[in-house]
Amino acid sequence: MAPMFAEHSLHSISRSRRSRNRLVYLLCLVAGAIALLPLVLILFYLLVEGLKAWSPAFLVSPPGGITSKSGGAMNAILGTLEMTGLGLAIATPMGLAVALYVAEYREGRLAVIVRTAVDLVAGIPSIVIGLFVYSLVVITMGHFSGFAGAVALSLIMLPIIARTSEEMFKIVPRRLREGTMALAMPRWRAIVAVYIPTVAAGIVTGIVLAVSRAVGETAPLLFTSLGSNFVVTDLNQPMSALPLYMFQNALNIGFPAARERAWAAALTLVAIVLIFNVLGRWLAGRTQLKVR
Amino acid sequence: MTADIAPVQPDSATALIRQRRLSLGDPLLGWAVRILSWSALAAIILMLLDTAGHSLKLLEHTSILDFLFGILWQPASTVYGALPFIYGTVVTSLLALFLAVPLALGAALLVNEFLPLRVASPLAYSIELLAAVPSVVYGFWGVIVLVPALRPLEQAVAGSPLGQIPLFSGPVPGPSYLAAGVILAIMIVPIVTSVARDAMRATPRLQREGALALGATHWETIRHVVLPFARGGIFAGVILGLSRAIGETIAVLFVIGNQPQINASIFAPGYSLPSVIAGEFAEANQPFHPEALIGLGVVLFLLSFTVNVAARVVVGRFEARAGGADVR
Repeated sequence: MAPMFAEHSLHSISRSRRSRNRLVYLLCLVAGAIALLPLVLILFYLLVEGLKAWSPAFLVSPPGGITSKSGGAMNAILGTLEMTGLGLAIATPMGLAVALYVAEYREGRLAVIVRTAVDLVAGIPSIVIGLFVYSLVVITMGHFSGFAGAVALSLIMLPIIARTSEEMFKIVPRRLREGTMALAMPRWRAIVAVYIPTVAAGIVTGIVLAVSRAVGETAPLLFTSLGSNFVVTDLNQPMSALPLYMFQNALNIGFPAARERAWAAALTLVAIVLIFNVLGRWLAGRTQLKVR
Repeated sequence: MTADIAPVQPDSATALIRQRRLSLGDPLLGWAVRILSWSALAAIILMLLDTAGHSLKLLEHTSILDFLFGILWQPASTVYGALPFIYGTVVTSLLALFLAVPLALGAALLVNEFLPLRVASPLAYSIELLAAVPSVVYGFWGVIVLVPALRPLEQAVAGSPLGQIPLFSGPVPGPSYLAAGVILAIMIVPIVTSVARDAMRATPRLQREGALALGATHWETIRHVVLPFARGGIFAGVILGLSRAIGETIAVLFVIGNQPQINASIFAPGYSLPSVIAGEFAEANQPFHPEALIGLGVVLFLLSFTVNVAARVVVGRFEARAGGADVR
């Protein structure tokens, strides 16, 4: 970081150049303040309104009707846990496999195609991911289901996990690679016993960040898992999730009870997402990965 | 890390060869990796084709030109024109860029160039945390706080002489293109700031110090050294922000007003491609209505795909010229 205004003490710098410098600094200050303002406002409203409506019972009570005063988000929390869990169980091995295929096996053009396709998915708006899964899974199965929601979330997570893991495999130190060769280690052994443990922190970072992303997604679930007002654990049934639950209550802000539930869900959701995000960033800082 | 690796110690060359031949691990892991990667690829291709197939059924009802350039969207009388949504997506995204880019650049400069590290890092970290907040929270906050707060402002402008210009004319119902643009701007400021910051940070220290040593002020250093160097990266950040704005669904759905119309005024309600899909899909029971919405999804996909590809091409050119920043 360069020192601040060290040049101000020099007499050779004309007044107009000095004041222009000052002006830009002020403009940047204003821009930074405005950029930060929404964070402050959103956090303020979340804490004030959210804490008013939130109680531990909110997490473990089954939902009531739209107008009923009582009712919690147990269905949504179970749904989020199940669908994110299953999504992760699909996306982690696939993401790792794609990363290994692209970074270690490098089978010519096919590896490039796989990587391009996964990159493409990262750039697709999440509502379109929802449409994809609707076309392929929901229409094929004939009904909405938690399973379809999990597939949609796994598509959100796959590119994140694949990308971070790939970056990590690429920075496995050369001397480690040469070491495995010198020991005549078979490739699978080198990967399983040396490379993966070496980059484990980076892979975990990718997983944590992917979860932080998937937990907050509403759009891909709208017409895959659809949402449900019952406490459902069967992945073959339509299922709620925290963002869906919040969305459906937020659409009914005319009802004070629904509005309160939306704030309580918002607070819960943001807390979960930020915990995973901060954890992911902290891990990433330790592994020198770039978070985005 | 390497302690638990039992080294292979062949007594002779044949022992090594035998070990190789008997090892099942290599084909096992190799094929597991291949099959998983290929099935990921196959699933992606299958979904693309399947979705395209479903949208093609719409063509039995509406021609492609009538769909893309139709200005009427009336599912009740099975009239499906996509233009109001394309217009809404373009207008809100451009508004978002217009508002977000100066703020993000200012914030990036502030954090990178002006403030001491002790203040700058927590500030940058907080701005980046904004990117993690789920869009449904932004949307809800937008309805409750932003729309009511913007409305008097919009009314004042529409009532002033500026209101004579169609772009700023009334009436002012509250939810509007502008509200959507502002929410989108809030949502993309963090990503643009973060990419721009990385690009600026990559400016070689020697060049920076050289400019300062020549007597340049801080701003002159930024203008003649940092900004030219970071141009490609900044552009990449802007495009990344644009592509997020184009695809954002839920937050826009809450504040845009959900009217399938084309209106010159940014204070009028409208609709965007992603938000109409989310808003109408669950209740789409008219003939060809679901297919038309999937068709909108295909249009949205192509739009964001084009933006991403164009960005890659342009950024590649910047990089080739400047050997510039790390760009995704």
